[in-house]
Amino acid sequence: MIDGCRILLLDDEPLILMDLEFAAEDRECRPLTATNVREALAHIEAQGSVSCAVLDVTLRDGETCMPVARELERRDIPYILHSGDLNRQEGTLAALNARLIAKPACSSKVVDAALALAEPAATRQAS
Amino acid sequence: MKDVGSEDRFSDTSGVLFEQAMAQTRMAVCLSDPNLPDQPIVFANRAFRRLTGYDEDEILGRNCRFLQGPKTDRAEVSRVREAIENEDVVVVELLNYRKDGTEFWNALHLGPIYDAQGKLLYFFGSQWDVSDVRAAREEERHARAMARELSHRIKNMFSVISGIVNVMGRVRGVEDTASEINSRIHALGRAYETTLDEASVGVIDLGPAVKAILEPYAVDERVKFLGNGAQVPFSAMSLIGLVLHELAANATRYGAWAEGYDGQVSVDWQRRDGNAVLTWIETGGAPISGAPAHSGTGATIMNRMVAAARGTIEREWKPEGLHAVLTVPIEGGNT
Repeated sequence: MIDGCRILLLDDEPLILMDLEFAAEDRECRPLTATNVREALAHIEAQGSVSCAVLDVTLRDGETCMPVARELERRDIPYILHSGDLNRQEGTLAALNARLIAKPACSSKVVDAALALAEPAATRQAS
Repeated sequence: MKDVGSEDRFSDTSGVLFEQAMAQTRMAVCLSDPNLPDQPIVFANRAFRRLTGYDEDEILGRNCRFLQGPKTDRAEVSRVREAIENEDVVVVELLNYRKDGTEFWNALHLGPIYDAQGKLLYFFGSQWDVSDVRAAREEERHARAMARELSHRIKNMFSVISGIVNVMGRVRGVEDTASEINSRIHALGRAYETTLDEASVGVIDLGPAVKAILEPYAVDERVKFLGNGAQVPFSAMSLIGLVLHELAANATRYGAWAEGYDGQVSVDWQRRDGNAVLTWIETGGAPISGAPAHSGTGATIMNRMVAAARGTIEREWKPEGLHAVLTVPIEGGNT
């Protein structure tokens, strides 16, 4: 329930993405959706004010969310990982020191977990 | 010159034993002479000839490298060369070629042989065809990769199904119903989660599955897992998953995990007389005064599912909390 909060949602599966998008709208924040690394990076660049992010780890065409995660870290933007590929992506998951929610999970809980990280940052900006 | 212990020395009589042993062993063995130019093979036993397909006169006098071919790994070959230069023992797996051109994986063990004075006499090489072992290892790797791919896809599938339910729920204005359906889909997803990662065939370790199912509910270590390493068939897992979900949801709403109480749940699972027996015991939760007047949707679903599986669930509403025992037949239940 953070006004003006922008949440970046990255998932290569459209239905999961849509579900997360609805959940974000329920929380009255603005979802920015991406299905691959390029789109996600474009959102980060263009808006410049992504508050937090939900990143699917294994993406299409052999991509992982790693470049997006690194870019978010560089900008001090909090994110969580949302993955069903826990075994193969052990290395990636370990390299990224972020909270992981295993798929399948309730979309509103996933979005809430990301927003919980954004809240302190948003308060900091407001004050 | 190397120091050779007395137990390593050949006596004259052991020369005869050596010859007989070499002739009989199924291990392909050859000796090469490092004191001659290009270190030729000076002895090759019967097994060596059988493995490579060459006759003795085609082997003797040649360097071992005649077994190599276009696909032999050069890096492994240089390990062999280094070992020979340093008079070391080395074990490598090389792709070698028989006389008829067919390939085989050769587990080559190579080491120096010294005389009593420590002078280097021979290099000893033992060859073993490990093509089958390599193929099995490759197959296992492939199976593991497939299991992981499958695991990923199925978890994604559960997520997609859950997404469809949520989206439909919103469109039709029945979000609560959608979220109830989804909580069961998620419990089911978790029930299979632990098992998909292993390439296990047909059976599931109950322990990790029970822990995964209850993971989202088990706050602040308010659950005790007592079970042993029992396994159940794959087909029993959806029932167990959904029953545990109903019990956990009930405990969260009215029982040991209800808000304002500091109750505990202990979960036990055993294999007993062809059944899987799950025991769920709540203590210290919201006070209970007998069985609830109406059984909710969750309880109704649970009862019908258990009955369909020819199992039983007994619930006892004790003052300190619910005591439930689920029995699922898992052997000889297909009549």
